[in-house]
Amino acid sequence: MKLFTKYNRLNIATSIITFIIGSCSFYFLLCYILQVELDESLKAEQQEISGYVRTHNQLPEIVPTNEEITTYALSDRIIETKFLKVTKTVKNSTEEWRELQFGIHANGVNYLVTVDKPMAESEDLLQLIIVITIAMIALILLINYFANRLLIKKLWNPFYQTIHKIKNYQITDGNSLSLKSENIDEFELLNQTITGLVDRLQKDYLVLKNFTGKAAHEMQTPLAVISLRLDALMQNEAILKQNAENITDIEKSVRKLSKLHQSLLLLTKVENKQFQLNEEVLLDTIIQEKCKELADLTDVMQLNIKLDIMPVKLLFHKHLAEIVVGNLLNNAIRYNIENGQLIIELTKTELLISNTSINPALDENNIFVRFYRHTNNMDGNGLGLSIVKEITEFAGFSISYYYAENKHTFKVVF
Amino acid sequence: MKILLIEDEYLLRKSMVQYLTSEYYLCEWAKNYKEAIEKIELYQYDCIVVDIMLPDGNGIDIVKTLKLNKRTDGIIILSAKNELDDKIKGLNLGADDYLTKPFHLPELSTRIAAIIRRKNMQGNNKMVFEEIEIDVQGKIVTVDTKNVILTRKEFELLLYFIINKNRVLSKNSIAQHLWGDDMDIVDSYDFLYAHIKNLRKKLVFAGAGDYLHSVYGMGYKFSTHL
Repeated sequence: MKLFTKYNRLNIATSIITFIIGSCSFYFLLCYILQVELDESLKAEQQEISGYVRTHNQLPEIVPTNEEITTYALSDRIIETKFLKVTKTVKNSTEEWRELQFGIHANGVNYLVTVDKPMAESEDLLQLIIVITIAMIALILLINYFANRLLIKKLWNPFYQTIHKIKNYQITDGNSLSLKSENIDEFELLNQTITGLVDRLQKDYLVLKNFTGKAAHEMQTPLAVISLRLDALMQNEAILKQNAENITDIEKSVRKLSKLHQSLLLLTKVENKQFQLNEEVLLDTIIQEKCKELADLTDVMQLNIKLDIMPVKLLFHKHLAEIVVGNLLNNAIRYNIENGQLIIELTKTELLISNTSINPALDENNIFVRFYRHTNNMDGNGLGLSIVKEITEFAGFSISYYYAENKHTFKVVF
Repeated sequence: MKILLIEDEYLLRKSMVQYLTSEYYLCEWAKNYKEAIEKIELYQYDCIVVDIMLPDGNGIDIVKTLKLNKRTDGIIILSAKNELDDKIKGLNLGADDYLTKPFHLPELSTRIAAIIRRKNMQGNNKMVFEEIEIDVQGKIVTVDTKNVILTRKEFELLLYFIINKNRVLSKNSIAQHLWGDDMDIVDSYDFLYAHIKNLRKKLVFAGAGDYLHSVYGMGYKFSTHL
């Protein structure tokens, strides 16, 4: 439910209750005042009659009107003065009347005098009040509705602007979130808080990003030293004779480590968008060159290669294109089987690389996650496909994986 | 042959100096930008190996200075693999080659040899090892003046071996030299073995000595004696 609607409902409900309570009290108050006034006028009538009796010692003559009915009746006792509410039918309409009864003594006889005045006025009043109440409620509903549509929307505008900006904000862009300062305290507080939060996040993100890059960078010299020292060790026949296996293993590990370090550096660079995608790249040529480079390997594994490519020119980055093609082909060969198949298809819109493999279907949700490796292969560094994904996304392409007919297929759509 | 190494990391520099000295190069070194500039102003070198990241400057600026002064010293840039911009910048400015850390010392010495060969185009363009002679420019190999037909990979292999003669070269460094970075995707170096076997066969068949020795299963050595 929108805050508006919620607020509005509450508002309307309170207004209606307030109006009903207010109207009721107003009605009863008015009734009471009118009755008091009516009673006063009846009392004045009584005093007039009493005054007349006192001076003339007889009852005054009755002059009947619509507004007042006076009657005299003989009484055997002295009547106390009291007010009554009676229903009378005059000229075919039944109405409430206010009646004053009092006793009077004239000419030695006890009389019961009743004076009646109609209460019609108060009923009219009730009707009027109901009409006014309903009209007021309707008016409030109407005003609320328009206030909602115009005023409140305008008031909440800064809030929606802020939300819109947050939605479109990408922490990887490296820009800080600029929110307009507002003259409404609450929104200003919101904007300040969010800006503060985003700045902190941005800082943390940058620290983390720089850390990866720097850590990878700092690795390079020690790695080079190890590699060179190892080379020196290798030249010592005596050492080599006894430690050939150790040295081979160290060399292999150094190589893995340096690959990892290169991959991390590359990932950081792609993430930092340090490449410009402004080169015309002939993807078919790159694929052919890569295939030629890898021919020695595919020959050893006796792979059956099917190359179905057409000339494709993309606005891309040559080095990055080579990495994408290289990584995908490397995987397709590395995990292939002897006499296996490798199918490369390139059309104007997509690149498909399929291969048979020692591995069963891979987890398509995880294969592009950094350092994710299938349990069967602990050889790779688990970054090859993350790099491919990062690059293709950076270039605005999409990459997907599926497994069908015993073949793993990677599809890049340009 | 005079070489200047510009590298701030002590251990790295020491290794390179040792290796290149053992290859009979006259090796000088500088540990930072300032020292490098001083040396360059004073002396001429056949080849300058420059690290891009220096504590007090950028190796690229050294390349710039050299080219501004119309110097013809060969230049090899050393850097991290993905400092791609630096690589392109360096090569555009006139550096001759580019090597990424970590690298194998035989690789460095091969690149230096190639640059020096190119610089002395009219001079000695032939590499000789006993009865084997390589015309690097014409890509012709002769054993006792008899032509040996080699494939491109076999030729590169032989050149690599002869430049780094009498040294143990790991399979890894050979594979990396011939195929680049991606060849470690399979564990076995079977594909390398096939080329080495063929090269050895062809050389022996042409009448050369059997100089190619396998060393404890980890690499190969090209020398007259084991």
